[in-house]
Amino acid sequence: MRQHKPKIVWLQAITCNGNTHSLLSSNPSRFELLLNSFNFFYHPSITTENSLEDVLNLKEIDFLLLEGAVTSNKQFYQISDNSINDLLKKVSKKAKYIISVGSCASYGGIHAKFEQNSDIKGLQDILNVWELKKLKQPIINLTGCPVHPEWILQTLFTLKEFGKIGLDMQGRPKDIYFGLAHHGCTRNEYFEWKIEAKSFGHKEGCLFYEEGCRGPMTHSNCNRILWNDVNTKTRAGMPCIGCTEFDFPRDNMLETKKNIGIPSEVPLGINKRAYLTITGVAKTFKIDRLNKKLIE
Amino acid sequence: MKTLNIVERIEGEAKLVCNWEDEKITDAQIQFLNFRGFEYILKDKPALDALVYTPRICGICGQAHLKATAQALENIYESVNEPLYITDKAKLLREIGLNIEIIDSHIKWFYLFIMPDIAKLSKDEKYLKYEAIKGESWRKGTYAASESIKALAVFAGQWPHTSYMLPGGVMSDPTLFDIMTMQNYMDQTLHFIEKELIGDEIENYFNFNNISDFDSLNGALSDFIKLCLENDFHNLGKSYNSHIVLSKNYLFESGRIEIKNRQSVDLSLVKEEDINSFKMNEPRRDNEYTWAKTALYNDKPYETGPLSRALISNRKLIKNMHKEYNDSVLTRVMARMDELIYLVFITKKLIKQVDISQDSFIPPKLSLKDIGTATGISAVEAARGSLLHKVTLENSIIKNYDVITPSVWNLGPGINEKYGIAQKAIIGANSLEKAYIILRSFDVCSVCTTH
Repeated sequence: MRQHKPKIVWLQAITCNGNTHSLLSSNPSRFELLLNSFNFFYHPSITTENSLEDVLNLKEIDFLLLEGAVTSNKQFYQISDNSINDLLKKVSKKAKYIISVGSCASYGGIHAKFEQNSDIKGLQDILNVWELKKLKQPIINLTGCPVHPEWILQTLFTLKEFGKIGLDMQGRPKDIYFGLAHHGCTRNEYFEWKIEAKSFGHKEGCLFYEEGCRGPMTHSNCNRILWNDVNTKTRAGMPCIGCTEFDFPRDNMLETKKNIGIPSEVPLGINKRAYLTITGVAKTFKIDRLNKKLIE
Repeated sequence: MKTLNIVERIEGEAKLVCNWEDEKITDAQIQFLNFRGFEYILKDKPALDALVYTPRICGICGQAHLKATAQALENIYESVNEPLYITDKAKLLREIGLNIEIIDSHIKWFYLFIMPDIAKLSKDEKYLKYEAIKGESWRKGTYAASESIKALAVFAGQWPHTSYMLPGGVMSDPTLFDIMTMQNYMDQTLHFIEKELIGDEIENYFNFNNISDFDSLNGALSDFIKLCLENDFHNLGKSYNSHIVLSKNYLFESGRIEIKNRQSVDLSLVKEEDINSFKMNEPRRDNEYTWAKTALYNDKPYETGPLSRALISNRKLIKNMHKEYNDSVLTRVMARMDELIYLVFITKKLIKQVDISQDSFIPPKLSLKDIGTATGISAVEAARGSLLHKVTLENSIIKNYDVITPSVWNLGPGINEKYGIAQKAIIGANSLEKAYIILRSFDVCSVCTTH
């Protein structure tokens, strides 16, 4: 059966191309399904048939994806002689769905830290939604630095099939960001019994107490769907740096900020005093199994 | 006649301005007009946060930046006579990680950025398999790349953008089964390379002496060589034929070559000029046309990258090809594929050498906060060539961070009557399509070039 293949246009603004390479690192059979199910009309580094000119001549785009932060400042950044903002204002009017791919496109991300260009923003901050007559639902923010490839695939396939998806207060699909990076982490038992990692470089212990892990405060499903099909940062031993949240990147990401020895931020939604009480109780248990090497 | 064209599919965008006479390019400018300011972003940030920032300079060579940052910070400890002890396990896991990233990058570059364009120059239908998105070989290339990178995710947690290396070692602690899984993924990559790229077993490949050894084969490299010879790419794309490699590892030697003699390198002779480059907060002068700076060694331009590494490390096939075809597109691209084949082979061996009983990380006894003011420098070999980081800290806060990327060496503007490396290579091309392919033979990364 010959199906209509929705058109995807992927543009890049101020970016490191990390989201593109994340997509190229997706599960191969899933990626193939994407290529077979959609018309990948334009991507500045992947497609060869169409140019940006062809994109500008299109009447309608089913899915407009943007990677990278936006700026009106042509001195620092331009795409084929256009300012990014001008180009996106034009192209976005054609789109049925607009997806900001990554934290840079959503909030400005790491690039917004370039203070000499004071006009670096996320896509939603420059578009006037009332002018976007074709838009079928609010702009979708797929935050993350980079985005997990499955988030792109699931969002595209769901919109193709069901037309609409539920978004949270920050325009992120609830299906991805309802939970925390913490959920599914193999170190959860250490977290429960308040056993901190001895240092970096160990399978044992939780990275929340000393190493700055943001797993309990960061919305994402990294530990439920796994990166590159095999692992996640926290499972491997690298703390979550909270890259899906609006305040990424923060200062001192690899250490835990504390007041009198207590983490100054506690897991999301928990009263600080209650958390300290639980911590006190949990620490009275001496669980041998959790204080030993996992493999001896 | 003067033409101006936007070059896409080079990891970002560049503009190519060419002067033409008698249907040949007589002068060319490669303009990078986009600037992200990483060196400015890094100022006043806590030192260890650089481990999170610098990999984001580039979505394809982030591990090279990560390793450069970790080593530059370790160099600070050395500079105050408090060197950190890094276990062999940690050293190996860093090198294996970077190698896997280079393997992934080389596969993608060849199948996504080289073959679709060069195949288009031929009308022969058999090359349709290299067409972007649709072609069977294009798809197999992306498949192989994403399978290879899993070997890195096993111990680095994910790719792109992990920061698993840090001063003192690495953050992860793989099990024996993890090591085996990494081996398995490398074996799959090796299988792809034998079946699709070479069309022969790797043991036979290591005996190859020149391109005629590919004549009877049916792999992508044989197709590439045929297309090169049909389109004169064995003569096109030549630059100064002077090469530099700033650091060494299990596969690469450091050094530089001009004409034939290999000499050592001294990092203090590397410098960056910005005569023809835009400057922050200054009105633009007529001669300034790009955000890329110019990297020089002892005031001279050098090419860096897989071809330079193959020549300085004396790898046979490329050495022989170079004798015949010099630093042409043919030799440059083949050097990179030769490097891919050797890297997969050697990385498999390195994985086996990891002794999981060693420590992954030994915490530094001294905090960077206690060091006061100090400067550290590091060089690593990234996919596209030598990468240099230089960082100055004051009580563990970054006061200055200099990054010289491989693409600055190859794609920066020339100065003082001397063309830049890629600029010189493009001059002489007789069509824009060919000029693009010459440019791509350096693996242009505009995001790295201007960082």
